[in-house]
Amino acid sequence: MTSTTPTTTTIVTGRAATRATRRHAGGSRHGEQLIGWAFLAPFLLAFALFLAWPILHGLYLSFTDQSLTGSGGGFVGLANYVDALADPVMWGSLGNTVWFTLLSTVPLVVVALLMAVLVDRGLPGQWLWRLSFFMPYLLASTVISQIWVWIFNPQIGAANNVLKAFGLEPIAWLQDPKTNMIAIVIATVWWTVGFNFLLYLAALQNIPQQQYEAASLDGAGGWRQFTAITLPQLGPATTLIGLLQILASLKLFDQAYQMLGGLSSDTTRSIVQYIYETGFVGYRFGYSAALSYVFFAIIIILGVVQALITRRRKDAR
Amino acid sequence: MTPPLDLNRRQFLGAAGLTAGAALLAGCASTSAAASGTRTLQFWHLLSGGDGVTMSGLLDGVNTAQSAYRIRPTVLAWGTPYYTKLAMASAGGRAPDVAIMHATRVLGWAPGGLLDDWDTGRLADLGVDASAFPDPIWKKGDVDGRRLSIALDAHPFVLMYNTEVCEKAGVLDGDGRLKEAANPEDFLAMVDAIAGVTGGHGLSYGYLGDGSQMWRLFYTLYTQHGIEMEMPQGGPAVIDKDAAVASLAFMQKLLDGKRAAKQADYGTAVAEFATGKSGTFLSGVWELRTMQAAKIPFDVAMIPPVFGTRTAYADSHSFVLPHQSHPDAASRDLVYRFVADMLKGSFGWAEAGHIPAFLPVTESAKYAKLLPQAHYADAAKHVRYDPPAWFTGSGSNFQGQFGAAAQPALLGGGSPADAVARFEAAVKRFLAQPNPADPEGARR
Repeated sequence: MTSTTPTTTTIVTGRAATRATRRHAGGSRHGEQLIGWAFLAPFLLAFALFLAWPILHGLYLSFTDQSLTGSGGGFVGLANYVDALADPVMWGSLGNTVWFTLLSTVPLVVVALLMAVLVDRGLPGQWLWRLSFFMPYLLASTVISQIWVWIFNPQIGAANNVLKAFGLEPIAWLQDPKTNMIAIVIATVWWTVGFNFLLYLAALQNIPQQQYEAASLDGAGGWRQFTAITLPQLGPATTLIGLLQILASLKLFDQAYQMLGGLSSDTTRSIVQYIYETGFVGYRFGYSAALSYVFFAIIIILGVVQALITRRRKDAR
Repeated sequence: MTPPLDLNRRQFLGAAGLTAGAALLAGCASTSAAASGTRTLQFWHLLSGGDGVTMSGLLDGVNTAQSAYRIRPTVLAWGTPYYTKLAMASAGGRAPDVAIMHATRVLGWAPGGLLDDWDTGRLADLGVDASAFPDPIWKKGDVDGRRLSIALDAHPFVLMYNTEVCEKAGVLDGDGRLKEAANPEDFLAMVDAIAGVTGGHGLSYGYLGDGSQMWRLFYTLYTQHGIEMEMPQGGPAVIDKDAAVASLAFMQKLLDGKRAAKQADYGTAVAEFATGKSGTFLSGVWELRTMQAAKIPFDVAMIPPVFGTRTAYADSHSFVLPHQSHPDAASRDLVYRFVADMLKGSFGWAEAGHIPAFLPVTESAKYAKLLPQAHYADAAKHVRYDPPAWFTGSGSNFQGQFGAAAQPALLGGGSPADAVARFEAAVKRFLAQPNPADPEGARR
């Protein structure tokens, strides 16, 4: 997400610059171009230093056995990639990442929709709901991790107190390999659902009121209106939210790492965490770079799918 | 070899930092230092909390006691963050003058030229030689004939006990010290007796999500069988399955919900013992200060040798010379002096619970009167470190992997044999990887 915004800016600026040049055709066309580049320079510099160069250098590293400790660095060809594809821990952590993406994306879309519909349909004090639902999203991942570590504390945590009230056995939420992924999903949904909720709320408020009025006149009830008007009208928003959510969920790292206190569990280790562990705990930079590029390739494929879906929708219209 | 990006960036940042720093300090620090002839030595360590306070006190002490050098400490977060940064600084050859490392982490760093050797002759001139250290501790600093680290302490895993509670439970001897259990059954019976007194748990042991904690107790029990694990580069590892299973099964018996909480994390266990809700506490000596601050009546003992051999799982905070490309001869001299000064003044370090490695300190009459420290000083003679390998040691991924393997058995009563099998598989994976710090072995 972060990378798309600046790119869009470039295109707009570029077009605007061209337009400006055309308008003043004749005069000092060259000078204006220089000014255009001057305006672009700060961004281009940052882009080159912090995005383009690391990407290229990372690709180079992935073909070496560079170690963080300075040793190694010789060219090893595709050996790192061959190792990666045969590495059970890489496949395991990729599997965890996909599993988390599935587990988190569904509630993050459905719950956000429910919340948005409830708020849109006349819950009193709309601003308070809007604020409460969105507030967690503003917190840093470190903060939400701490909050949920306490909630999930097996001895004194709120979650187990609730279970106890229902006469259920306490659960070691974050420690038991059977539940730790679920615990991370719950915390993540609480943390980020507010963003999707806002997108849905905005989309809901864009649905023309007349359609509901017409439907009422035709005798359609609330549920019929919801399925026949609201849901179809929210289609584009749902696609957008779903795709953004998948990309966000694939990046799973901070909350899982922090909530488990860095303990690397086979049931929660995400691919990003494995990349971090390989490079910064195990010092194997080259291999870690290769893992990043395997993951990068997957993201690219997803990005292409996203682009295709969006284009097909545009064509259909 | 093409220099990696981080080197360039570091050089850039270093240069920028130097320029800015020089401008800032031009007026004060550097001139005053030059005037009095005091050299500033950069010292990195990873001690925070109570240990950090004690260390600051010791550094203030050596700084004021002489005027030849002044230590400027940099404290970094314990564990991976610290070791990553120290490795990068050493790889660039622009490391601090002296640093603290866990003795168990030194081996992994030895082959890559990340550490400079200590000159044993110069150390001996300052009174620092083999005769001044317990044998296993001194030997740990020696890697393939190279003297790479000088231990400041040993910090073993021990058994703390609440004397009031234990008295009531009738598990103290005539001197008011804990009767030493001679076998697993005795130990379990003792914990049962204590649990009967507290009404809660007899023992506090926090391990959830903490691989190091699980490893510390496990490896104490494992080495009590009179053996140690071996993990030679390339494998195969030597792990006694029966001893490992017996050790884990014993831990399961402790964590039955009555003797000790089934599911306790580190903080919960500390709080439980500190508030007198249990009678015994399995912990590192570094929690001594916490318990003193909690003002409970307690004493400390070595973990009883229930499986036969008296051992103490431990690590040592050790002084190392991170690699500098162009070490300044005068500064190096002062570093030797600093280390000797610290060792001789390490009585203060004992107050934080650690056992000073320097024998003249622990053999002094003053130390014999320092309680409860003197009651477990013996542990220094029985220390067992992590099995030597590049991937083991305090704060390493290895201990985390042990935790991931063992926790299901401790938590849900899973089979200890399965846990040991998972651990062996993890060790096998580690052994198949080359030491990333080794220029020869980075890739076969």
